[in-house]
Amino acid sequence: MAQYFGLDKIAAFFKTIQQYGGIRASLYKIYRMDSLRPGTLVGTDKYGNKYYENPSYFYGRNRWVEYAPYYGLEYDASQVPAEWYGWLHYKTDLTPDKDPFRPKYKWMADHTENLSGTSGQYMPYTTTRPKIEPWIPPKSS
Amino acid sequence: MAFGSDRSRFTDIDFSGKRAVEDKDIGPLVKTIMTRCIHCTRCIRFASEVAGVDDLGTTGRGNDMQVGTYVEKMFMSELSGNIIDLCPVGALTSKPYSFTARPWEIRKIDSIDVLDAIGSNIIVSTRTGEVMRIVPRVNEEINEEWLADKSRFAYDGLKRQRLVTPMIRDCNGELKPVDWEAALLTVAKVVKGAGSSIGAIAGGLADAEVLVAVKDLLNKLGSEALCTEHTFPLDGSGTDLRSSYLLNNKIVGAEEADLILLVGTNPRFEAPLLNSRLRKAWVHNELNVAVIGPKVDLRYPYEHLGDNPEILQNILCEEHVFSNKWKSAKKPLLIIGSDTLERPDGAAILAAAQSLAAKTCPEKSWKVLNILHKIASQTKFGEGNLKVLLLLGADDCSINKSDLPKDCFVIYQGHHGDYGASIADAILPGAAYTEKQATYVNTEGRAQETLVAVSPPGRAREDWKIIRALSEIVGTKLPYDNLNEIRDRLDQVAPHLTKYGYAEEANYFKQAEQLAKKTQAKLDSSAPIDVKIKELQDYFMTDSISRASPTMAKCVQAVLKQKQSKY
Repeated sequence: MAQYFGLDKIAAFFKTIQQYGGIRASLYKIYRMDSLRPGTLVGTDKYGNKYYENPSYFYGRNRWVEYAPYYGLEYDASQVPAEWYGWLHYKTDLTPDKDPFRPKYKWMADHTENLSGTSGQYMPYTTTRPKIEPWIPPKSS
Repeated sequence: MAFGSDRSRFTDIDFSGKRAVEDKDIGPLVKTIMTRCIHCTRCIRFASEVAGVDDLGTTGRGNDMQVGTYVEKMFMSELSGNIIDLCPVGALTSKPYSFTARPWEIRKIDSIDVLDAIGSNIIVSTRTGEVMRIVPRVNEEINEEWLADKSRFAYDGLKRQRLVTPMIRDCNGELKPVDWEAALLTVAKVVKGAGSSIGAIAGGLADAEVLVAVKDLLNKLGSEALCTEHTFPLDGSGTDLRSSYLLNNKIVGAEEADLILLVGTNPRFEAPLLNSRLRKAWVHNELNVAVIGPKVDLRYPYEHLGDNPEILQNILCEEHVFSNKWKSAKKPLLIIGSDTLERPDGAAILAAAQSLAAKTCPEKSWKVLNILHKIASQTKFGEGNLKVLLLLGADDCSINKSDLPKDCFVIYQGHHGDYGASIADAILPGAAYTEKQATYVNTEGRAQETLVAVSPPGRAREDWKIIRALSEIVGTKLPYDNLNEIRDRLDQVAPHLTKYGYAEEANYFKQAEQLAKKTQAKLDSSAPIDVKIKELQDYFMTDSISRASPTMAKCVQAVLKQKQSKY
């Protein structure tokens, strides 16, 4: 009966809002991520990104990441570390903590996001001599 | 087989190998690849007939003949680069240019050389925004087909020690790079605050456009203190009459002279191509040369009259043995070095020279009095209580920081970091002569135009545009926005400045002489007449461009080394 009048959709809507912690927090989530999806938290990486799953969505929409709050609007896909990449892209159904076959060596480098456009970006430099050598003013002692 | 065989037609019947000749080392400018030499002896004849340096010759006979210096020796001439041009096979090539560019890659721009007062016509070859080489362009009235070594090889100085960004001295006394907006605002604030106590000194490489712009700006601010680094006596007619500061008889005119009196000048190094003309006249036209000043090597014999300025007066009063010769000469020439006129008694020397010139009256079109300048642009400086001093490429240490009032703000506008830039409080980077379309007047009063070969480096801009931009911020906007408009202004000031390639005749010799007689200055017999550039090693580095040039530094080293050698 409730299904017939679509009341379950309304219930799901309120449940989602509740899950996100109220109207204010839900509006912020929509502002930040353009969607509001109920899901179960499957894990959190060391940078604070949360990974959710909701199998009621179709394949391709049913796994997602919510970036850590301190990224604000400055989030991008390169902030997903390599160990979560496989799960997020359906290469595996096992999350990193549940996969016993993941190699783990102490020499493995920490994940870095793409730093293009920031002060930490890689700048190639020329090794040829400049065509014009500028005058360097002498240091006044 | 359409283009012939791909095998050599050379058959070594004696199995002795091809003839090969060892390369000679004749200095840092000319590279020799002697296997190519076909013994045409053009270099030898140029050296002995035009340059007057008999260093090159042939040794051996037949197959063993070699062109060279016999002993390992530098080719000690200020015209040595020309043997590169006249070598038909490329046995003599340019050392700085070798393997740097291919002829089909370069763009050639006709321009004017400004490193001496002759104003030689040159072709600037550029590639990828870089000057690759400079070669002469034929102009029979100025440089013929020759070019002096400094003009030809100092171009690598254009790539070093450049001012590429405006700079302001910060509170710690360090010059810090800033952008144009900050630089112009700071400078404009200081200029506004100074009011009419602003002065400017123009160096030798300033072009006519920027000089007119600075003069206009200063006049609008109520100041008259635009001076040139190299002074000129202001007694008598001063610089008002062109006849008293130009090489009036033209460079070509020197060829026809039969007697030349050089006063305090060393044309060999101040204007090498004028000296080659004098030498040409000495070879072909029975020219006699007499010199008042130090004994220098001109590469042709001359009569040395001494170095006392009184001699000029003696010749004038016919008390000197030389005066008979002077009187009997049909086409005498008097060439005075601009250095001599910078002396305290320069006005008296000029007056004596003018009287001497007026006394001898050859044909009507012949002009006896000639002034030889050393630098491309020249035309005075009253020290006042200056608050702002604008140095326009003035690098010859004519201004000492201690001579200026302590709170004087020094602005340097120029293209090279040299003496002027090091004492400046603000630096405005300008363009060098290969980077702007500008007007230069040579020693004979011929206005010529340089063309843009490469763009100015970094944030450097054309000089007159900087002054024009500054004037707008100061609030005294100069009424020209583009090159045509400033050329119109040039035309208003002096019409001959825009008659490119044409040397306007100077007049009023008589009036100049009469005015000069009023001078109070006395000839100072205690100070002998001297010239600054006496020997070849002094010739190579005389201005901010050539001082920055590694090639020129190598030349100085090579000459000093050769002087120590026993050959």
